[in-house]
Amino acid sequence: MKRRFTALLAIAMAFCMTIGAAGCGKKNKAEDLSELNGTYDITVWVSEVDGVKALTEQQIDKFEADHPGIVLNATIEGVSEADSATLMITSVEDGADIFCFAQDQLARLVMAGALQPLGQATAEEVRNMNDEGAVRSASVGDTIYCYPLTADNGYFMYYDKSVIPESDLDSLEKIIADCEKAGKMFSMELETSAWYNAAFFFGTGCVSEWTTDENGGFVSVNDTFNSDKGLIALKGMQKLLKSSSYNSSSSTSDFAAAVPSAVVISGTWGLADVKAALGDNFGATDLPSFTVDGKEYHLGSFSGNKLLGVKPQVDKKRAAVLQKLALYLTGEECQVQRFESKGWGPSNKKAMASEAVQKDVALSALGQQNKYAIPQGQIHGSWWDIAKVYAVSAKTATTDAELKKALQDYQDTISGLFAMSVDEKEAWSIIGSMNGDGWSTDISMICDSKGVWHSDAIKFEKFDEFKARQGKSWTVNIGGDGKADGSNFVVEEPGYYFVKFTYDKDSNSGKIELEKSSDIYGFTVIGSINGDGWTIDLPMEIAADGSWKTTEAYTMAKGVEFKVRQGKNWDVAYPSSNFVVEADGTYFIKLNADLTVELIAK
Amino acid sequence: MSDNRKHMGMKAKTTIGNTVIYIILVLMSIIWLIPFVCIVFESFRGENTGQVGYLIPKQWSWANYKALFVEDPDKTVQFMLWYKNTFIIAAVSSLIHTFIVLCTSYTLSRMRFRGRKALMNIMLVLGMFPGFITMIVLYTILSKIGWTGAGSVPGLILIYTASAAMGYYVSKGFFDTVPRSLDEAARIDGATRAQVLFRITLPMAKPIVIYQILTAFMAPWGDFIFAKYIAHGTSAGMTVAVGMQNLITKSNNSAHYTHFCAAGVVVAIPITVLFMFLQKYYVEGVTGGAVKG
Repeated sequence: MKRRFTALLAIAMAFCMTIGAAGCGKKNKAEDLSELNGTYDITVWVSEVDGVKALTEQQIDKFEADHPGIVLNATIEGVSEADSATLMITSVEDGADIFCFAQDQLARLVMAGALQPLGQATAEEVRNMNDEGAVRSASVGDTIYCYPLTADNGYFMYYDKSVIPESDLDSLEKIIADCEKAGKMFSMELETSAWYNAAFFFGTGCVSEWTTDENGGFVSVNDTFNSDKGLIALKGMQKLLKSSSYNSSSSTSDFAAAVPSAVVISGTWGLADVKAALGDNFGATDLPSFTVDGKEYHLGSFSGNKLLGVKPQVDKKRAAVLQKLALYLTGEECQVQRFESKGWGPSNKKAMASEAVQKDVALSALGQQNKYAIPQGQIHGSWWDIAKVYAVSAKTATTDAELKKALQDYQDTISGLFAMSVDEKEAWSIIGSMNGDGWSTDISMICDSKGVWHSDAIKFEKFDEFKARQGKSWTVNIGGDGKADGSNFVVEEPGYYFVKFTYDKDSNSGKIELEKSSDIYGFTVIGSINGDGWTIDLPMEIAADGSWKTTEAYTMAKGVEFKVRQGKNWDVAYPSSNFVVEADGTYFIKLNADLTVELIAK
Repeated sequence: MSDNRKHMGMKAKTTIGNTVIYIILVLMSIIWLIPFVCIVFESFRGENTGQVGYLIPKQWSWANYKALFVEDPDKTVQFMLWYKNTFIIAAVSSLIHTFIVLCTSYTLSRMRFRGRKALMNIMLVLGMFPGFITMIVLYTILSKIGWTGAGSVPGLILIYTASAAMGYYVSKGFFDTVPRSLDEAARIDGATRAQVLFRITLPMAKPIVIYQILTAFMAPWGDFIFAKYIAHGTSAGMTVAVGMQNLITKSNNSAHYTHFCAAGVVVAIPITVLFMFLQKYYVEGVTGGAVKG
């Protein structure tokens, strides 16, 4: 009942404001926006949290009231900030005109072309109005792509005062002991969320800094998790992981769970739950410190924010209106309203300085933690999954060696995202349907002294298709017709073949050939055949079953010796001791697939 | 004596056996029913709307059910709209679906034409691919027509009915058991093929018709994957399943968990009622098609 009353009041207020503003609209008009007058149908996606849609509706009404002549028919949808970027990328065309998202989604959205960068004047205004960290999170390179909406996307510690005495709050070890003694849980989402488990690494001074280019593509990373400091972090994490009180969760409803938690590491969004469950025992503060080898490390954290973006528009007038609206929605007035009704921490400097914000328990806990926090910049989307793994390994690990291995695996995966030497980038490979995995694995080729590329023997089925490409990417690729981005090479006759590829850089064209033998991988016969003193390699060809046979038959007397060797050198040769002919005759020489050599009479 | 003892032993054995079986069955049904009981209890909880660590509500109330049918000022719970969408989609697609299936199976059962076997085999093979592998393509196509987002109702109907003909097996099996001489008699009396189907065969095939309607109704009623994808975050185009999932996202959970439970109960009601009344036909339909004549 109370809620309905509040809603009615809000609507009534909005109505009054509309009337009021319309009445004095002319007087207030500081800039002339009359050329933007018109009616616009817009879609806005905001957080699905209770009350946010209604609040946004009021704020848009207020915007309309402030700008008479602009009529907005807004459809406001609640889409979670985790989903909105995915939905936008699925179809930018069908996506919302204005949408809210968490900052780690920015790189994806920019790459998908889902964000309209801010004009110079607007960018300047956003830069002056907002916290520096928030502005950085809305930028890729030097360009600001969206508007900071909040600056409270970080975590801190909620605790039950009846279980954790104030004197223990600074020590992770003491808090764990208190929880174990009381039979309550310590909730921190370590195994399933890198966002939370990175706290230990940041605490010891490790960094994971990613660099993007202007288009939002990741170019490099400076990651020091695999280090002595990282090992200390994992040891600290183990203290919690191995405790009987440990609960891998970040849900503030854990305080009311069947086995309740006494500590939950979470963010401002859980405040209402905690207050409801704990009442007077409610407490919030920064994260504790942990001790390894006698040294204390205060847990770090990510600090981040929510952003509001505008989709690129065809109509310039419409784009201008949307930019104006976005600026208003993220301005001081709206941020204060959001703080008052939802407890969202503002990114606007003036709103941040207000007394009410300073007094808020959750935000002040976040503020305390922020001294140890690392602003969450652009992070490679795969990192979140890669970084979960070491926590899972650390839970079962008992030795330093195992922990080091977990960190090494982590680093290998990270560097795998970029690691490609100049040679690898230049190298040609072929990719296609022949290995039965749907064009997902490249088959590498070797370059000979003449600049011609050779593959090992590949088994092709009829109508298998493939292409040659450079650096395992599709940027430079040659098709069966020899042209860049040309059509696939189609195999007509099934069997084993060597792919020979010649590339001409100047014309960006090439030639793909299938051969039954190969200078590098092919086998030849060498020996005392024809009275030759082991100087001439006799040619062989590969057959459909993978065996090799000389192209012609040779007349050999009893006692003639030879070997079959690969690549015209002695690294690989069969049989291990020379093959000796036992009876005069004319024979083909055959190397079977099982690497035995035999004579076949003509 | 020994005979008698053996007889007693058998009786005791049966009793013990039955007791054990009943205990197992009771345990199994308890395990099976607990989630449903939980949902029903939670849907009546009045003291708060989040998740709690106990089962029996401290305060019983209808508030969660009311919240579903009263307009939400915040428009998070738009249950009536979702229910309407789901009902239209399920009802329309079950009618179209049933019509197509009956026509297909009648044709495949009664008529002999070139390529009939090949057609049946192709449909069998095609049916083995899970439908959602085509999801992205379907989305793009529907998006161009404008049948996604707010306009998802016709889009979803199209999706659910487009491959209807491939589900002909059970009904074809049933039609195979209907004697062909009946058809022939009717044909001699001058009935067309369609008249034979609608006047003669269908009245005898009530169980299979009802079975088709039921299964065709249930698939869209409970579908999530396509509905979520096609709705594209637009609440006007959501079905009950998608809308309800929105109620239990990380940040909505504490405000709407009990509404979610109440919605779960309300959603189950029509299906349950439908089943209770049509159960007899349903069983006949399923088993009837299984015996090939």
